[in-house]
Amino acid sequence: MSIAIARPLPRQRARRRLIPVGRLALGIAVLALWQFGTVTMGAEWLPGPADVLVRIWRITISGQLFHDTAVTFWEAAVGMALGGAAGAILPFALRLSPRLMSALDPFISAAFGLPKLALAPLFILWFGIGVPAKIVFVASIVFFLMFYNGLAGIMSVDPKLVAMLRVAGASGWFVSREVVWNTAKPFLFAGLKIALPRALSGAVVGEFIAADSGLGWYIQNARSLNDTTGVVAGAVIVTVLVVGVNAALKRVQARSLAWRPVARDMTL
Amino acid sequence: MTTAAPILEVKGLAKRFAARAGEAQSPLILADLSFQVADQEFLTMVGPSGAGKSTLLNIIAQVDSASDGEIYFRGDLIESTDAAALNPGWNCQIGYVTQDDNLLPWRTLIDNVTLPLKLQGRYDDEAAARVEALLRATNLTGFERYYPHELSGGMRKRASLIRTLAYDPPIILMDEPFGAVDAQTRAQLQQDLLRLWNYGRKTIIFVTHDIGEAIALGDRVLVLSRSPAKVIAQHHVDIARPRDLGNLYKLDGFGDMFEAVRQQIQ
Repeated sequence: MSIAIARPLPRQRARRRLIPVGRLALGIAVLALWQFGTVTMGAEWLPGPADVLVRIWRITISGQLFHDTAVTFWEAAVGMALGGAAGAILPFALRLSPRLMSALDPFISAAFGLPKLALAPLFILWFGIGVPAKIVFVASIVFFLMFYNGLAGIMSVDPKLVAMLRVAGASGWFVSREVVWNTAKPFLFAGLKIALPRALSGAVVGEFIAADSGLGWYIQNARSLNDTTGVVAGAVIVTVLVVGVNAALKRVQARSLAWRPVARDMTL
Repeated sequence: MTTAAPILEVKGLAKRFAARAGEAQSPLILADLSFQVADQEFLTMVGPSGAGKSTLLNIIAQVDSASDGEIYFRGDLIESTDAAALNPGWNCQIGYVTQDDNLLPWRTLIDNVTLPLKLQGRYDDEAAARVEALLRATNLTGFERYYPHELSGGMRKRASLIRTLAYDPPIILMDEPFGAVDAQTRAQLQQDLLRLWNYGRKTIIFVTHDIGEAIALGDRVLVLSRSPAKVIAQHHVDIARPRDLGNLYKLDGFGDMFEAVRQQIQ
């Protein structure tokens, strides 16, 4: 009996150790390219890595970095929780009524097609320049990302697994929990992978339009003062935030989808 | 051997699927199909590919509805022509080993095998011991914590087989369970199945397109016609049990029966 999974060979392991080395080299190359751009264009047009780092250090000490990051993160998190959860749950509810699903379909497509950015000024008008308007904006973006991924997951449920469980004595509720949920889970993670960065950038864009704090406000404020260093520093902080969130998601995903063949068998 | 009262009786079963657009009526898959199975009988059904064998088992397992006809389980009418009223597995009385192993990919081997017992609230020490014995009998001991994709095709087949044997339904339907494995594994699986069946004889309805397999395993072989399927012949297999599948093909009468069935299937 052969087993599909084998321990990686020593050579494979050695090759895998090359990955961090390659990453480091690529990171240095990107920084070098950045510095090259600064030298050729001038620091007013593209502030160099050192200037940006100094700026980030300064706003870290002054406490501004923490404050603005917390505001943006809070807007993204609450918007994600509300819009994302609603978008992820709705397909499970619609599954119970195919007629309702097909009746709603054109409306959901239209709402998805509606440019949320065009509505952002309205959200500000309705909810003020504070945090609630950004939460609504973020929620309106991530809702659809989670909804369509959840829907794709539910569509791919294997009817043979459902029939097998029913024959073995499973209730309709157990089938939903066992087959539908487990089938949809990878799709929901794929949705999160897109939705989480969008939630953060949605909060930042919302702050561009009208705000008195947050990373988007910081970038916008720096732009109005012709402070290019502030603009780039803000962009770098948002990027670091997105990378951090993605890394956390990857960990949760690896743990909860350990049974999947793809994540395990892929070797470089 | 078939003197006992039938545990399952199928009478005049017919099936056609819902008509497609632009079609007045879709063709019949099963037409006037009737047969009986005795308690503890190993019944095999052989028929050409596409004859509607899987459809027949789906209807008996109540995964699909019939268009016409009756099915009796121990004298009670269980068949339904109303899809909404189907009772898959007839309260866990009818087990079904499908063509695909249909193991849940997110559950380990042991969790897959014990799931029906847990669903039915019957997973006690005795059941655990039976599962243990079945795992040992099918050489799966040691692989309990593996996920299905980490097992070979033959191992997955054996797991799906003992998943149904473990909860011990009175009737087990088998739909070409060894169809998609190589010849060697297949021979091993057939021998495993016969050995397990000899431990505690169940009523088995085993469907296949392989004539040799049908004769080698069964007490009785029913021959199905091309679609729309009906029973066109039956053969009693008088080979003594326990059977050694390696020698079976050399026994007197095997070749003649094989040839007779082959002629009928044409």
